[in-house]
Amino acid sequence: MKSQAPALSVRDLKVIYQDQAGPVTALSIPVLNVSPGSLLAITGPSGSGKSTFLYAIAGLLRPTNGEVTWGGRILQTMPETIRDHWRRHTIGFVFQDFHLMPELSPLANVLLPASFEHVTTSRALKQRALSLLERFGVPHQRTSVVDLSRGEQQRVALARALLFDPPVLLADEPTASLDALAGEQVAQTLEDLSVQEGRTVIVVSHDPALINRIGTRFVLERGHARPAAVMESVR
Amino acid sequence: MNPLPMIVATIRRHIWTYLLFVMVVAIATGIGVAITSQEAALRKGSARAADKFDLIIAAPGSQTDVVLEAIYLRPGTVPLLDPVMTAQALNDTRAKIASPLGFGDSIKGSPILGTTPDFATYLSGGWAQGRVFRTETEAVIGSAVRLKLGETFRPSHGMSHNAHDVDDDDHDEEQHTIDLQVVGQMNPTGTPWDNAVIVPIELVWRIHGLPTGHAADSQQIGRPFDPARVPGVPAIVMHPESINAAYGLRNVYRTSTSMAFFPAEVLVKLYDIMGDIRTIMNWLAIATQGLVVLSMLAGVVAILSLHRRQFAVLRALGAPKAYIFLCVWGQVVFIAILGAVLGLLLGSGIAILVSMVFTHSTGISLPAVIGADEYWLVAGMILFGLIAATLPAFLAYRYPVIESLRAG
Repeated sequence: MKSQAPALSVRDLKVIYQDQAGPVTALSIPVLNVSPGSLLAITGPSGSGKSTFLYAIAGLLRPTNGEVTWGGRILQTMPETIRDHWRRHTIGFVFQDFHLMPELSPLANVLLPASFEHVTTSRALKQRALSLLERFGVPHQRTSVVDLSRGEQQRVALARALLFDPPVLLADEPTASLDALAGEQVAQTLEDLSVQEGRTVIVVSHDPALINRIGTRFVLERGHARPAAVMESVR
Repeated sequence: MNPLPMIVATIRRHIWTYLLFVMVVAIATGIGVAITSQEAALRKGSARAADKFDLIIAAPGSQTDVVLEAIYLRPGTVPLLDPVMTAQALNDTRAKIASPLGFGDSIKGSPILGTTPDFATYLSGGWAQGRVFRTETEAVIGSAVRLKLGETFRPSHGMSHNAHDVDDDDHDEEQHTIDLQVVGQMNPTGTPWDNAVIVPIELVWRIHGLPTGHAADSQQIGRPFDPARVPGVPAIVMHPESINAAYGLRNVYRTSTSMAFFPAEVLVKLYDIMGDIRTIMNWLAIATQGLVVLSMLAGVVAILSLHRRQFAVLRALGAPKAYIFLCVWGQVVFIAILGAVLGLLLGSGIAILVSMVFTHSTGISLPAVIGADEYWLVAGMILFGLIAATLPAFLAYRYPVIESLRAG
């Protein structure tokens, strides 16, 4: 990993949106601290604000109130272009539906984030992309990611998230559309990325198999952290 | 940053739709290019056809009708110039060439024109084959006439309306009982005269039972003409010694029984009218192109709405907003540039095709050249595309990330 994982600190975080009936609190977290290198599961029923929390700590969503701090840097005070650059190099994102470009090869998909800041892709980045695909056991010779299994596609998405070697990985339901075996492989990878490499990995999931592998849970209900156990240790 | 991989990937995903957009832009541009280049070609071609008709003397009436009949060989019924005036003009020594033009007969669909050897030689500018006629039974042919050197033919009275559709035998025409021999072929002139058979005016007068301009038993061809034996003619074309002489002659023959004019004057009037039409057509072409681009934009916006989540994912992966903007802008620009360039090629093709058809039917050579006007039109189309592309690009730029991420 190119840099030490930053600590996450959330203070008085509130996301409120206006509904027909009036203001609705989508998220309200008075305080949350996540140590560098943690492996954290965000759980809770549908509509509890899990994804909203993920988007807020990634700096994609501007909260109504409060602040999100990564390694002492307050996201809300960063100009957008700086925040984009910071996100690119600090946070890797993995989605339930992978969101790969079907017209591109696995390698081209992994290298896509490089095109956000470079006109040409450096040999070092290409080498990194190839080694990531090899590490995750993806046949990168394929001309299109469509030819890959769903598990392989999610691993391509993981490789894409790790292209810039970010110290933080955010995963939104990464195993939800995978079968049990593929889900297990992805879960193992996420665990390795945290435990072995020291990345902060925060996973939003409903998947019990995945949640049970993760040592720490943060449970949300209707946008609020569960009062009795803000942070549950299952181990 | 380099949005090209995303642009290429998106275009590949919707390749048929994008190709359809490209085709529509290409057709709109092509039509504009073809119209503009044809209009310019028509001006050049028609002006060139009139180049050697310096001054025309005819009976009072429509100058346009005379130009159409004498230069462009369109069938018409212009009145005959008074014989006294005809004789005076034909023998006027202030003109290097003063030649009568007589129409009315045809062979194998080609009009037969009676004139003098001087004018035939002047018009041809040398001979592709053979020589000019020296007797009443000799003829020279235009470069496109389907007769051969040495071939004999019998002229028919009357003109075919569609020269290229008539049978070789001209069964429906009344044939004159005189055989003519082809003794020369003119160089290509790019005028309707390329499709004409040119004979001595004396022959035309003789076979129509008119005096031949010379003594009854004379075999003379061309000037000088006997004033007492000159019949009226539809038109006389003069090639004066100088510009001053041309203006002088024009004044001399502007009388109560004759009119004298430079064909260029008539063409300028026609071009004035054409200029107005051209302006209207240009605006119509631009409006069409504008509508096409707007329709294309509507289509692109519809496609992009399907990609909202994809753009949001790119933003989550760290793509700057400018990257999203350029992804969309690049797609529209691709359509605009490729469509405009293909349109230029298509327009050139249409222009060449129309020129060929026009030349085939009229004999006027249209130099269908793609020039500055056409390049400006294409450049304008591309520029409009570049500017218009900012609209969907800006919409994509403004897509709310969170809503788009949830939209899936």
